[in-house]
Amino acid sequence: MPRFWTNPEFVRHRRAELRPVRAVTVAVVVLVMCVLLGLACWSYEQNLLENAQRGAETFATQAWQDRLDRMQRDFAPIIWLLFYRWLVGLQGVALTFWTLFSCAQSVSGERDRKTWDFQRTTRLTSTEILIGKILGEPILVYFAVLCAAPVTLIAGLAGGLSFGTVISVFVFLASTSLFLGFGGMWLSTLLESRTRGVGLIGALALYGFTLASYGLRESGLPGLAAMSPLIAIIDLVLGKVPGPFHFTPVLFGHEVSWLLMNLLLCGSFSAWLALMLIRNLKRDYPDIRPLSRWQAVGCAAFLNFLIYALLSPGRFGDTLSGTVRGGQFPDAKSVAVFAVAINGLILFLMGLATLTPQERLKVWRRKLSAGESAVFADDGLPWPWLGISAVVAYAMMIWGLLAWDHALPLDSGTLQAAAIRLLLVAVFVTRDVLFLQWCILTRLRQPVVKGVLFLGLYYAAAAVLTALATISSEESGRWVLALLTPVQVFDPRIHGMAFPPATYVGLLVQMGIIGTVLAAITNRLQRPLRIGAAA
Amino acid sequence: MIELLGLRKEFENVLAVDDLNLKISKGEIFGLIGPNGAGKTTTIRMACGLLAPTQGRALANGIDVAREPERAQQYIGYLSDFFAVYEDLKVWEYLDYFAHAYKMPEAEIPARITEVIAQVNLEVKRDAMIRGLSRGMKQRLGIARAIIHRPQVMLLDEPASGLDPKARLELRSLLLGLRDQGATILISSHILTELEGFCTSIGIMEKGRMVRSGSIAEVTAAATTSRLVRLTWAGDSLAVAQEKLAGDPRVSEVNLTTGAGTFRFSGAEEDLATVLGSLVEAKVQVTSFGEAKQTVEELYMKLSTHEVM
Repeated sequence: MPRFWTNPEFVRHRRAELRPVRAVTVAVVVLVMCVLLGLACWSYEQNLLENAQRGAETFATQAWQDRLDRMQRDFAPIIWLLFYRWLVGLQGVALTFWTLFSCAQSVSGERDRKTWDFQRTTRLTSTEILIGKILGEPILVYFAVLCAAPVTLIAGLAGGLSFGTVISVFVFLASTSLFLGFGGMWLSTLLESRTRGVGLIGALALYGFTLASYGLRESGLPGLAAMSPLIAIIDLVLGKVPGPFHFTPVLFGHEVSWLLMNLLLCGSFSAWLALMLIRNLKRDYPDIRPLSRWQAVGCAAFLNFLIYALLSPGRFGDTLSGTVRGGQFPDAKSVAVFAVAINGLILFLMGLATLTPQERLKVWRRKLSAGESAVFADDGLPWPWLGISAVVAYAMMIWGLLAWDHALPLDSGTLQAAAIRLLLVAVFVTRDVLFLQWCILTRLRQPVVKGVLFLGLYYAAAAVLTALATISSEESGRWVLALLTPVQVFDPRIHGMAFPPATYVGLLVQMGIIGTVLAAITNRLQRPLRIGAAA
Repeated sequence: MIELLGLRKEFENVLAVDDLNLKISKGEIFGLIGPNGAGKTTTIRMACGLLAPTQGRALANGIDVAREPERAQQYIGYLSDFFAVYEDLKVWEYLDYFAHAYKMPEAEIPARITEVIAQVNLEVKRDAMIRGLSRGMKQRLGIARAIIHRPQVMLLDEPASGLDPKARLELRSLLLGLRDQGATILISSHILTELEGFCTSIGIMEKGRMVRSGSIAEVTAAATTSRLVRLTWAGDSLAVAQEKLAGDPRVSEVNLTTGAGTFRFSGAEEDLATVLGSLVEAKVQVTSFGEAKQTVEELYMKLSTHEVM
């Protein structure tokens, strides 16, 4: 990010958004809001103090008098702390929300205004455009936060917080908003003008997920909560308050600070998003492919690594340290089952990221027929790479479970059963991803979105069929579930390798379906081209 | 110089451009003609790096546009049929943005902005907000953007389609000025009169293929097996003229009325002089005699329907 202030894209945003009159107006509004907020906090605390004074006069007990003395002594710091918390809360929400939504409309907005092609034909590299947009699009909110920063700093210090804590909160919010900015930018590259509404829903979902990740403090992966800006607003400001409400993230079982965890997670996720953006920013819309095949395998490995690095095995209520850690993994088997389930999602996402555009797939097919390409080529079908990702995920599982062997003793049966589970999940995911690849070859508009909706309908129908079959007998319900979905392998009643026959029959049925989808894809790829431009 | 080598583009089930080979030399203005859907826009978008070709390469000044896009872009100026601009900037800020985006030397930028603003007659609007400009002014600003970095290759996709007649003339003289400075220009249009007397060579595209290309003289020669000759004369020599022309085996389609007419001549240009000589010898008082040059429009109509005479 060297000399970002001379980046033409950043300068453009600065000029457009921060003209002197507007900048002065924003600064004045922010300062007035700070004053009003300060007065409101003072008024609130004054009210409490007056109540305490009335209580002390009315009841005339030592307890009331002590309370009154304490309030009078800490009156100023309490007001400052309250003021600080309000300031941080408002800035946190404004910064993260504004950054996400302004970035989520950046590229799609340029496409809409038809200025994007002109920017793509300049000498700016994808990296320069990315830096300019990430720092430039939300420049107004950055400026507003900058205006409020001195007041916030003073309020925090006067409220009794250390300089380090105040800076930590700022760094935390900056890192989260940058991550959300990258996420928003990625969403905006995926959208054309007619799908901008979908993009805004996506941005809302991303924001909701980021905020809601706060609840993961109590899960088996408590570190994931470090993505939430609420951690900065609540936990960092509260500091280490002893008691049952204090949660700390762990990295390989060692407690780390929320700030460090936030920097690790937001930094690494932002890096993956930046990689996808740099690869694709200057590409034409139909040529967008988030990751290369090897990058997708790397991403799957990284996400698997995170599972085991952030894992917090079940240790509730550590009375010695007076802290509570989340944790829902009583044994290695539960970790393995959880990892398989998460890998279903990871493999599906990797499949989505590596779908091949129709044009490239047709060229690959022709080259393959001529012996000039291979099944594992970057422009080929995604299934071989899903297989590789699944193998990598299994290797990571072996490593992860062995690493946690001291806390969660591992037996070989767990790994063997996990292999069967992962195989079944990978087969189902491969079927679904190949179905999406087939959708791309049809004439559907927005084929991936529609394909995902079709898959959603399929799984909803499978749930209804299972419920209907269960009415006649539980065994029939199990068979339907096993034939149509991979859910059955997560049945807690399965011990060791004792999978029911329906599991293996379901596996064979799905392999047959995969073969059929592959044949349908080949058929589509062999259709002759019509002559004449379509652009 | 622009080179398109075996360029091919497929969209879903459609072959938009098929094995296109083209070389446009320095200082040449090449007009790409064809009906809507012929593949002109796709070709230009591939040539300027906006679209990745399915196969083949596009070179600008010898640099592969797909492989070294940032290096190639310093030589390319791209103008399309829409003139989208950043409405929230001032005129000079807009040009300053693109000058920096094209990585021009910092010291040159202020003078270049002044120069380009003068070229497109926007001096009085230099400090005005773009959102306050008229449509025509925005179009001129778009042209200024395309030439701010002194491109040696101009790729113009139907650039005049939204321009008023005055702006068209200004664009034309601007492009001729660039050509005189050594720029190579590829311009697509289906308004054929726009290219008349302006292009040094043309290419006719249909269904993704280049039907014919070359200098206008070459294309005309290739499209014509006989010349259309127009003549006028004074006095009452209709019968004599008809008799003389009918007696020449190289003459056909004689269509004469009182004092004027046309015929087709299948010989070489110098042989045409002998026809004139025979008419003069026969006391026909010829007042004008010459080959009727075909317009680009006529050429296109012949070639696009494969009606080669």
